[in-house]
Amino acid sequence: MSDLPLISTPPAAEAALVERLRAGDQSAMTEFYDRYSAALYGVINRIVKDEEEAADVLQEALVKIWHSMAGYDNTKGRLFTWVVNISRNLAIDKIRSRQHRVGSRTQGLDDSLAAQRQAAPDAFRPEHVGLQEITSKLVPEQRQVIDLLYFGGFTQSEAAEELNLPLGTVKTRARTALKILAKLIR
Amino acid sequence: MEDYQEYIESGRLEQYALGELDPAGQAEVEAWAARSPQVRQELDELLAGLGVYAEAHAVAPPAGLRERVLPRVLAEIGGAPAAAPVAAAATTAPVPTMRVSASNPRPAEAYPVAPEASRRNGWAIAASVALLLSLAANALFYSRWQQASTDLVAAQNSQARFAQTSQVMERRLSSTQEQLHVLRSPQEYKMVALAGTPAHTSAHARVLYNGASHHVYLDVQQLPTLPAGKQYQLWALDKGKPVDAGVLAANTAAGDSLQQMKDIASAQAFAMTVEPTGGSAGPTLATMTVIGNM
Repeated sequence: MSDLPLISTPPAAEAALVERLRAGDQSAMTEFYDRYSAALYGVINRIVKDEEEAADVLQEALVKIWHSMAGYDNTKGRLFTWVVNISRNLAIDKIRSRQHRVGSRTQGLDDSLAAQRQAAPDAFRPEHVGLQEITSKLVPEQRQVIDLLYFGGFTQSEAAEELNLPLGTVKTRARTALKILAKLIR
Repeated sequence: MEDYQEYIESGRLEQYALGELDPAGQAEVEAWAARSPQVRQELDELLAGLGVYAEAHAVAPPAGLRERVLPRVLAEIGGAPAAAPVAAAATTAPVPTMRVSASNPRPAEAYPVAPEASRRNGWAIAASVALLLSLAANALFYSRWQQASTDLVAAQNSQARFAQTSQVMERRLSSTQEQLHVLRSPQEYKMVALAGTPAHTSAHARVLYNGASHHVYLDVQQLPTLPAGKQYQLWALDKGKPVDAGVLAANTAAGDSLQQMKDIASAQAFAMTVEPTGGSAGPTLATMTVIGNM
């Protein structure tokens, strides 16, 4: 249970890749793609919920990462954290811009808890390599909050409103969930 | 004098990690993290936790995605400073050629000597031929070098992909092996069948208890589905006193896999109750679902 592949990439290997990307080495972009695209695509697709659009956002994100490389500061966090945030922000902008949000927000989410409960028993989904391990560590209520915040682009107050919960409860659940997840890579 | 604990509780760090803050808010959090090691650690944990969550959603991208996206990305970034190394290689390649002719001082010296025009032409032709030959050779070597480096990158990539897959498989395998070991060691692990209480006759589970190492594993056959906000909690009964053995994760309660519970020093019986999410300090006896003696 010690490591997930990307987060656990040795800092030296990560730094070398960052160096090459900064130097404008295009072969580094190919390597970057092969290492990170599955994770980035997974997050993007989960947000935009459309394969075509996810591919476009992934492309946009990679170009943006390439051009913003100079702004990456490894003292503030791992490369993966940084690039996944860029991708996530672009994906959230995308769903906001198509005003998809109002609709999917009120419809899709009421039953999301029920959906997750039902989704739990089908054991092996090879496309979700680490997901099962992760979900088994969180109770559905925690997962629901994190999903809204992370994949729905909700702020904590919006999530509280959406779930009809006190803001404090949302904060606690989010924090507990993140800390449980953090323990997985210790 | 600032209270870092209060700051940690404020939710600002979560907002930072989730990207909810404007630049001023980000700077505030970063300043806190710079001053307080506790805040730094908390923030790092939150960021790492989100990273794990994001990475867990990695999916095998649809077929053809790489072929579709990567060339476009490379084409888009090709115009930028990114083009530098390739362009540099292309322009530096012919440079030695120029030197071959330029390093021969005679054409230059011959220049002022007007009458020797024909000799100068001769040199110029020779130099041009040398230049052309050299250019052709350079082009050939350059394309071979490009090919080799493309091949190398492709090989490295497929190696990286294999490494990732095998890491995932190894993790899964070791967890399966651990479960198998527990199930196949009757002399180490004592099996305690937990039968449903009269209110829940269809409920069944079993505890695998190792008296020497004090490890406790739980294997659920069937449990009633719980309403939101509730979670099953396992208790060890030691001389009639209930001891918390941990709460059940959702997929354990669904019967998907074994779960290692808290270690229990000594017990004569195990029982399970329904408690609010997160568990309780003491069991709510009215909700007892299964129980079994060793």
